[in-house]
Amino acid sequence: MSLNIHIKSGQDKWEVSVAPESTVSQFKEAISKANGVPVANQRLIYSGKILKDDQTVESYHIQDGHSVHLVKSQPKPQPGAAAGTNNATATGAAAGTVATPNMSSGQSAGFNPLADLTSARYAGYLNMPSADMFGPDGGALNNDSNNQDELLRMMENPIFQSQMNEMLSNPQMLDFMIQSNPQLQAMGPQARQMLQSPMFRQMLTNPDMIRQSMQFARMMDPNAGTGSTGGAASAFPAPGGDAPEESANTNTNTNTASSPNAGSNASSSTAANPFASLLNPALNPFASAGNATGTGMPAFDPALLASMFQPQQASAQASQPEDTRPPEERYEHQLRQLNDMGFFDFDRNVAALRRSGGSVQGALDSLLNGDV
Amino acid sequence: MSSSKRIAKELSDLGRDPPASCSAGPVGDDLYHWQASIMGPSDSPYAGGVFFLSIHFPTDYPFKPPKVNFTTKIYHPNINSSGNICLDILKDQWSPALTLSKVLLSVCSLLTDANPDDPLVPEIAQIYKTDKAKYEATAKEWTKKYAV
Repeated sequence: MSLNIHIKSGQDKWEVSVAPESTVSQFKEAISKANGVPVANQRLIYSGKILKDDQTVESYHIQDGHSVHLVKSQPKPQPGAAAGTNNATATGAAAGTVATPNMSSGQSAGFNPLADLTSARYAGYLNMPSADMFGPDGGALNNDSNNQDELLRMMENPIFQSQMNEMLSNPQMLDFMIQSNPQLQAMGPQARQMLQSPMFRQMLTNPDMIRQSMQFARMMDPNAGTGSTGGAASAFPAPGGDAPEESANTNTNTNTASSPNAGSNASSSTAANPFASLLNPALNPFASAGNATGTGMPAFDPALLASMFQPQQASAQASQPEDTRPPEERYEHQLRQLNDMGFFDFDRNVAALRRSGGSVQGALDSLLNGDV
Repeated sequence: MSSSKRIAKELSDLGRDPPASCSAGPVGDDLYHWQASIMGPSDSPYAGGVFFLSIHFPTDYPFKPPKVNFTTKIYHPNINSSGNICLDILKDQWSPALTLSKVLLSVCSLLTDANPDDPLVPEIAQIYKTDKAKYEATAKEWTKKYAV
């Protein structure tokens, strides 16, 4: 026994009869015979679901006399002409699955700043840096100058530069950058202004600027200067030791002499920062530059850029990581999301956000578990 | 339970004679959890797209409105990035005489005629009011990206 099914598409209507055990692709062929729409351009919808080609008609419980919606799609570009096209379609398809976020998981999850990198328009001509940019240890230790050169080469690539420009003109990207960095968050609206300013963009995209700041970093940071092996030795540099680093050493020396902690600090470059900034704020921009080189990505370290633009303010904040703004201001965005989800108890929301360090997901867990 | 009887009735009506541009049915065996799809109206920038929605009926349906959310991303002044819809009949203007099919049709007409004076996303409403061409271009782009 076959089913008579109404096919609806806008104002048009057809009737097609099909056996319940036939597959959806066979069903589409029958529809194609009735109205001439090629099988590849058909999308069938029943009961709110898109019918999949390999399923049978009866698996969707379509009954005799029921209606199925037909949506005609534009014919897809045929893959194959050139290898490049093939590549682009494949990447495009992959990006499509990545870029369709599940909205129920919250707003922040919906935005993937790297999605653009995988989208079809960059396929084939993007020179992604090789993995050893981060060194054999994945960037855990100070890396050497080879890797920095590679980064510089990448920065000189015009395509990479145009991508950077595009990224920086995307307001969502800016939000993301600001939100993911506590120092930028603490700067408030100024951070956005700074990120949008043409001068900042120039800094990020001009290879010469980066090369200069890298050289600075290498000069100023005793660890980076002598390489990862000599960390402890360079904490107590011989007076007038390395001739080319004369100017750097004078600064480092005063620092070492005046601080009883400096010896132990310098051997672990991350710990060195807060103390250094207390003693000598002017040194701080370069101290954080030293850290940035450590990760191999100085261009992306907002702390470096922030401190270069506003040495005083940034150093004050670096030495005082605790955010002193009132919670309704600090968690404004997250509180609104929680309110949208139906959590109206301000005190509980703030307590949950504090506990989760500002993550809505984490706060939800605590709220639902009744931990706060 | 009267709510399940009413929902089953709506389901059979929808199967027999669905509205021209929407379709809906239970996700699995749970009669209270449905999914729906809306085909972008041809006279809107959403033409050619298929937008999915998730629907939760409350146990006291039809005395309370169903919860309707977009699961497909859409660029619209009355629909936010979590898929919430700002529509009066889903809130204070709900009436037990309304059906899911009428709700979906209202959502369809919201796609054709947005209501920028009662926006859920003020930024989009602003663009809608001041630069309609830009709004339409962005809406088309999102439709192509997420709903085709």
